[in-house]
This record gives sequence, C-alpha cells and structure tokens, in this order.
Amino acid sequence: MKKFKWLAIVMAFGLLASACGDSGSSNDNAADTSTTAAATTAAPVDQTQGGDLTFYMITHSDDGPFWSVVKRGAEAAASNLGVKLVWQGSNNDPEKQVQDIEAAVSAGASGIAASLPSPDALVPPLQAAVAAGIPVITLNSGVNDYETIGALTHVGQTEIIAGEGAGKRFNDAGAKVLLCGTQEQSNVGLEERCKGAENTFNGKVITQFMGGDADQASQQATINATLAADPSIDAFLGTGPVIAMSGLRAAQDLGRTLAIGGFDITPEIIDAIEAGDVSFTVDQQQYLQGYMPVLLLYLNVTNQNTLGGGLPILTGPGFVTPDNAAAVKALVAAGTR
Amino acid sequence: MSDENSTAVADATSDERLAYRGVFQRLLVRPEIGAIIGAIAIWIFFWAVSVPFGTAGGASNILDLSATLGIMAVAVSMLMIGGEFDLSSGAATGALGIATILLVKDTGALGGAGLNMSIAIPLSLALALFIGWFNGTMVERTSLPSFIVTLGTFFILKGAKLGISKLVVDQIQVGRIDEGAGYSFWRKIFASEWQRNDHQFGSRDFFYTLGIVGGFALLVLAVHEYNYARRKVLNNAGAALTAVAFAGGIAGIVILHATDNTGGNYLGGIVIAVSTLVGLFGFGWWRFEPVAQRGNLHIDQQVSKSFGLGLGLVALGAISAVTLDSASSSDFFLLITEQGLRAMLFVGLTSAGITFMIIGVRQASTTNPLTKSTGLAVLATTIAAIAFLVRSESASPKFRGAAFSLLLVGALLALSWAVTSSCFEERRFAHTAADNTGRLLALVGSLMVLGGAVVRLLFTTAAEIERGISPAKFSVRIVWFLSVAGVATWVLGRTKFGSWTFAVGGNKDAARQVGVPAARTKTQLFMIVSSAAWLVGLLLAFRLNTLQSGTGDGLEFEYIIAAVVGGTMLTGGYGSAFGGAIGAVIMAISKAGIPFSGWNSDWRFVFLGGILLLAVIANNFIRDKAEASR
Repeated sequence: MKKFKWLAIVMAFGLLASACGDSGSSNDNAADTSTTAAATTAAPVDQTQGGDLTFYMITHSDDGPFWSVVKRGAEAAASNLGVKLVWQGSNNDPEKQVQDIEAAVSAGASGIAASLPSPDALVPPLQAAVAAGIPVITLNSGVNDYETIGALTHVGQTEIIAGEGAGKRFNDAGAKVLLCGTQEQSNVGLEERCKGAENTFNGKVITQFMGGDADQASQQATINATLAADPSIDAFLGTGPVIAMSGLRAAQDLGRTLAIGGFDITPEIIDAIEAGDVSFTVDQQQYLQGYMPVLLLYLNVTNQNTLGGGLPILTGPGFVTPDNAAAVKALVAAGTR
Repeated sequence: MSDENSTAVADATSDERLAYRGVFQRLLVRPEIGAIIGAIAIWIFFWAVSVPFGTAGGASNILDLSATLGIMAVAVSMLMIGGEFDLSSGAATGALGIATILLVKDTGALGGAGLNMSIAIPLSLALALFIGWFNGTMVERTSLPSFIVTLGTFFILKGAKLGISKLVVDQIQVGRIDEGAGYSFWRKIFASEWQRNDHQFGSRDFFYTLGIVGGFALLVLAVHEYNYARRKVLNNAGAALTAVAFAGGIAGIVILHATDNTGGNYLGGIVIAVSTLVGLFGFGWWRFEPVAQRGNLHIDQQVSKSFGLGLGLVALGAISAVTLDSASSSDFFLLITEQGLRAMLFVGLTSAGITFMIIGVRQASTTNPLTKSTGLAVLATTIAAIAFLVRSESASPKFRGAAFSLLLVGALLALSWAVTSSCFEERRFAHTAADNTGRLLALVGSLMVLGGAVVRLLFTTAAEIERGISPAKFSVRIVWFLSVAGVATWVLGRTKFGSWTFAVGGNKDAARQVGVPAARTKTQLFMIVSSAAWLVGLLLAFRLNTLQSGTGDGLEFEYIIAAVVGGTMLTGGYGSAFGGAIGAVIMAISKAGIPFSGWNSDWRFVFLGGILLLAVIANNFIRDKAEASR
C-alpha cells in the first residue's frame, strides 16, 4: 500500500514536470515559428511550392450535415490544387477554436480560414496570425469583423441578404402576413434572417420564437397555436429546415394552406419541396464556403491575388424550389449541396 | 345512536394518527391537489385572455403538448418518489426512436437492419430496458448519486445518437420509418388520429349538458354523503322533496334552453337555483341526522381577521375594475395594456380575497355550525356580487355569459352548503357504507363529467361546420398518456411495488431493514423511466417520420419540473404519478397559452417561469394549510 502511495506521488510529479515542460517549450515554439513565418512572407514568392503549402480551416463545425459539406468543399479544393488541408472543428467551443488558431500559427500555417461565431474571443488570435504574416480568410460567420482582423475577405452568406431574398419570394407568392418562426432565442443570425425578410416583404411580418428543434412536437404545437390565434397569417418562414417542416405540419393540421419557406437543406425538406408542400428553402451553398477560401488563400500565397475588392464574397442566397429540387436532391446525396 | 357516535369519536381521538379526517381535509392533503387547482386557474386565465384557446382546437393543442411530456413526467415522478433522478431520460427518447428507425430501415444505400417492425419494436424495448437496468445497476453498485451516473448516460446517449446516425446514414437526421415493413399496422397503434371535423353528432350538446350537469350534481351529492352523518332510518318525506326539486331542476334547464331572452334566462336560472337549494336540503333531510347543537353566532378574532382581509381584497379588486378605464387598450407598462392590468388586478385581488374567506369558513367551522353557515352565506353573497360586477363591467359574451353563470353556480353551491351544514350533523367518524356510497357517486359523477367533455371535444355539429370551425385532431398519443398515468397511479397507490417505491425514496436504509428489496426496486424504477422513453421515442418517430439526432436532449429537466409542479418532492418519498401528469398539463397550458394570446415570444420564458413559480408556491401553500389542520 505504502509503495503505491510513493509511486503515485512520483508519477504525479512526473506529470507535473512534463506538463510544465510542454507548455514552456510550446511557448518557445510559438515565438520561433512566428518569427520564421514573418520571414517567409517577407521573402520572395518563389520560395513556396504548392505541395508544401498547408492551409488550416478552423471552424465551429459540429460535423453535422451542414459542415460536412463545407469540409468536402475544402477537401476538394485542396486536392485539386495539390495543397495540404488541416480541418479542425470545435463543435461550437470558442475556447478550443482559439487554441486551434494559436496552434496553427505556431505550426507555421501557410494560410488560415476561420469562422467567427464569437468575435470577441476569436478576433485577437486571428489578428495575431495576420500580424505574424499569415493570410487569413473568414468564412460562414464573421462578415462584420473580417476587416478588423485584416483578413483578405469573407466568404459566406449575410443573413440579412438571405432573409431579403426570402421576403421577395413571399411577395411573388402574393402573401400578406408572414410569420417568421425561429428555433433559438437570442441567436443573432436567426433574428437577422427574419429582419431581412421584413426589409423586403410588402406585408406585415410577425417574428416569434417557437421552441427548439430538440422538441419538435412542442415546436409544432406552438406554431399551431400562433396560427390559430391569427387567421390572417398566410405565409410561414422557418429560420431552419426542421422548424419549416414543423410549420408545414401545423398548417396541415389546421387545414390552412400557407406559403412556406425555410432555410438550409435536409433530405426531408427537399422531399417536401419536390411534393410542392414547401415553396422554397434558402441555400447558402456552403460547399463554396469550404472551396473558395482554400482557392483564394492559394492564389494569394502563390500569386499575391486578392478577390472581392475588400467586400465580402457572398455564397448565398441560393434557392431550392420545386424546379430544381430533383437536381439538388441528387447533389445532396453526393454530399456537395 | 348518539352513544354509538360518541364511542366512535372517543376511539378515534385516543390515537391522533387514527383520528377521522373529513372529506375536504382528505382531498387537500393529496399531493396533486394544488396542481389541479393551479391547472384550472391557469386554464381560466388563458381562456379569459384568448378567444381560440377555449375552443376544441385549443384543447387539442394542449393535450398534444401534454401527451409526450406527460408520459415521461409520470415515469419520472415515480422515479423521483423512489429518490432518484434520471438525466438521461430526455436523450433516451430520441435515442430509442432513432434506434427503432435504424432497425427498421432498409439495408440499401442508406444503411439499417431492415427488420420487420414486429421484431424491431420489441428489440428496441429490450434496448430501453437495458439502458434502465444499466442506470439502476450503476447507481446501486457504485453508490454514486444518480445525478452523476445518469449524466454520464446522457452524454453517452447524446454522442451515440449523433455518432451512429452519422456512421450509418451520414446525416444528423434519421428518417423514413414509413418505408419500413409493417408500418401500416404499427402506425395505427402509435399515430392514428381522430379528425374532429369528420365526425358529426347531432345530439352532441344534449349528451354534453347531461354529462356535465348530471356529473357535477352527483359529485355534489358525493360530497354530502362523505360529509354528513347518516340517519338510522331514512326519512321518506325528504326523498319526496328531493324528487320534486329534481323535476323542478329539469324544468329550469328546459326553460333555459327554450328561451332566448334575458328575462327567460333569469326565470330559468331562478327555478334551477331554488330547485337546487330545496333538492339538496331534501337530500339531507332524507338521509342525514339533523344537527344536534346549532350554537350561537360566535365570531372569534381569527375568523374576523380572515373575513376582514378577504372582503377588503375583494372590495379593492372591485374598485380597480370599476375605476380603471375599460375601453383603454393603450400600453400601460411594457407589454401590459391598461385593460390587461385591470383584468389582472381584478382577478388576482378577488381570487385572493375568496381564498381568505374560504380559510375563514374553515376556521369558523371549528366553533359551531351556525357560525360556519353564516360565513358561507357571506361567501355566497360575495361571489354573487362579483358575478354581477363581471356582467356589468365586461363587454364580451364570454364573460357576460359563461363566467357570469359559473360564478353564480359557485355562489349557489356555497349557499346550499350553508343551509345543509346548519341543518345536518357533520360526520366525525369513519362509516364504511357511507364512504362507499360517496365513492361510487364520485366515480360515476367524474366519469359523466369526463364523458361530457370527451363528447364535446371529439364531435362537431352541423352548425359548427357551417360557421367554419377550424379542424382539430386528437391523436392516440393522448390515450397512451392517460393509460400510462392511470396505470402508474394504480401501481403507486395499490400495489406492493408502489409501497416499496415510497419506502426506498423516504429512507432507503430503513426500508431495506424492514425487508424491502431496495436495489431491485430502484433498478426497476429506472427501467420504467427508460420504457417510457421508448414509448415516447416511438410516438415521435411515427409522428415525424424523421428524427433529429438532437431529439429530446435537454428535455429531462422539463420532465423533472413537471413532476415537481405536480407535487412530487425533489428529496423523494412524497408525491404522486397523477400529479406528474397534471404538472405536464400545467406546462402545456402555459406553453400553448402564450402563442394563443399572441404575446411577444421574447417574454415567453418570463411568463413560463412566473407561472411555474406561482404553481409551486400555491401547491406548497395548500399543502401546508392542509397539513397544519390535520
């Protein structure tokens, strides 16, 4: 027993020492690589060859259906261009994303593409990356901060413009009162989708929180109640694919025919669009959000090109409607939409 | 006769634990009584605020929301009474639904085992039982708090749902259960629906009125039977009087239905009121012992304080209703209009006042029958005054009609109770035959009320269709919910397993020492929760066809909240399964009421929190009052 105790203490000390050593040495590395990185960018272009380039894509990916398409886009670009790609998803953990960015800078990344779900935490490390001479592109979220960072550009969809596109579609459908249902409260992006629709829609827009996707039955009942309370509502925009389907079911239960639109793609909503029950879903074509940053970083590093003239590059809104639903369905199955 | 009574009283009082408890006291110490009162109050509140809330569509919405939440809340209540928590219960609903879909799905490009549902559904139940067994065994073997163990299971299930669905179908949603073998049969069991508008029933309103009026009458008689001491020899004159009054009551209802003008309505109302008073007096005269000692009016300090406070609050409510501008709908404060503030002040103050007066009546009942009936008479007058105030101050037919007549019925009942309690002797001893009669009457009465409500909800009439009533549907989920709640209530109240559950939740070591198999009981409780999760998972899968991998995550707290709102204690050993069901209904009413009222959803959680807090406080208040007077 006593022996084990001693062993434990010795092991604990060992761990402690190695931990200290690790953190110390990695700090040193960081300092070293940042200086070397600065040196490489200052040096002429011909030093870099395509095959030696390593781009880091550091996002808040949860490896869900949305982000796996982004990942495929980035991988396709990397293999087309013959560069190395390191994909890191943080599953919505800004802390981990900060660490990944710092690690990428230490490792001497040739370029970093990052999403910015929480700017306050992520702007400083990306600014440090830019200061270290690493080209940075923001993707998906971060349209308000890419200039502060000094990023080349932003590749993504602005939620306001996507919402505005949806609002126009409802005008074409002749709707008068639009209910915009969100599935998360205090999510800026979702609120902006509704605000965008409000900007272009000619009638009245009611924005309401309907309950989360984890409890679809309750979401559907809430939409049902909201529709029952206001018979003038003739259109429903769900700020996600699941809530759009809940809206469809609620309307069917009440025997009402609404113009229904959604955001993003699931096999379920595409089937509903094909059947004509849902009018459209807004697609932000996230494949491009993976593909374009890698391509743009490559062109910047190898050829000093920049694209977009300082403005963000928009990948959406693209629309899936009954006209192209079948084609998109095949592409979804292939994993590129 | 009186000798027999006094010996019974003497026997009962010799040991205070065996002392006879009256019908109201027995009702009030039930754990779920506060929740039932809360549910009714919140329902009335939203009924007053919103028009579509009170329709069949509103009821369908509430029941739909209650069903899946309620099944879980009932099971979780049982587990909590047994002293444990299951944080994996929410994630398990989605996990078991997804597991079933994956077992059923075709083995094509999208993966899955491609089993027939008749094999897949029992298999997923086996998986559910295993999850429950695992939770229970881990809690027992490690002696760690179930909070920690099931938190681990929660994360495992949450991760497995995502991991497995991505591995098998490369998506975070798993779908198309409708393409599985055996779908059309199993769909009937888990997802058949009743479309109200497809079912017309011409004499619906007759059966509805019969069920509600007759059922309530039987319930009132049941209370009399419980509350008063039986005569040795029945008095036939009383029976005759009751029969005459019964005929009068029928005549009153006929007058009420046949006439459309206000004068006719008042005539019908007066006939009904007089018949009720005479009938209940006749019923008492027929069956119960006349009061021995009526006593003199004696108002002690306690009683006068309660009544003073009560009358004062009612007066304040009335003043605020009269003085505030009824027509103004301008914003008064944040989201409350002046009209809304007026309604809230009126309803809040008067109901608080009535509550204090009821407490006063209870205090007065300890002095003598006369004082008690005087108090009841004052209460009846106050309620009647409130009814007429509501009628004169409000514009909508909802208040001028329904609320007005319901309040008058309340006043009438208080008045008739005042008459009977000053005329007949209260029973202060156990009497099996009388209790059995009371129970039978209460059972038949409740079934009639329920039947009337069900007929009204399930069927529509040609007139309603003509007015263009929007469709409402009722799913078999509700039947599952009611069955689960009924079976769980029976198990907890009437079986050995139920007693063991209370024992292990109250004090596990003590329970073990008297021979309760504590570990086995707890493990079985965990298995009950996971089986309920299996049922809910299947209900969701057959309803939605496609399940998100996040389905159910985080809902375990809603189940626990519903159980607590329903009167189950967080510490275990106290509560009821039926209360959990009522707790789920309260949450459903609050959730549905907010969108029905058209309130801004930004404030949703403020309302929800406030309502839940009020429900729990009311529950505790009622329980404390009841326990104190035990």
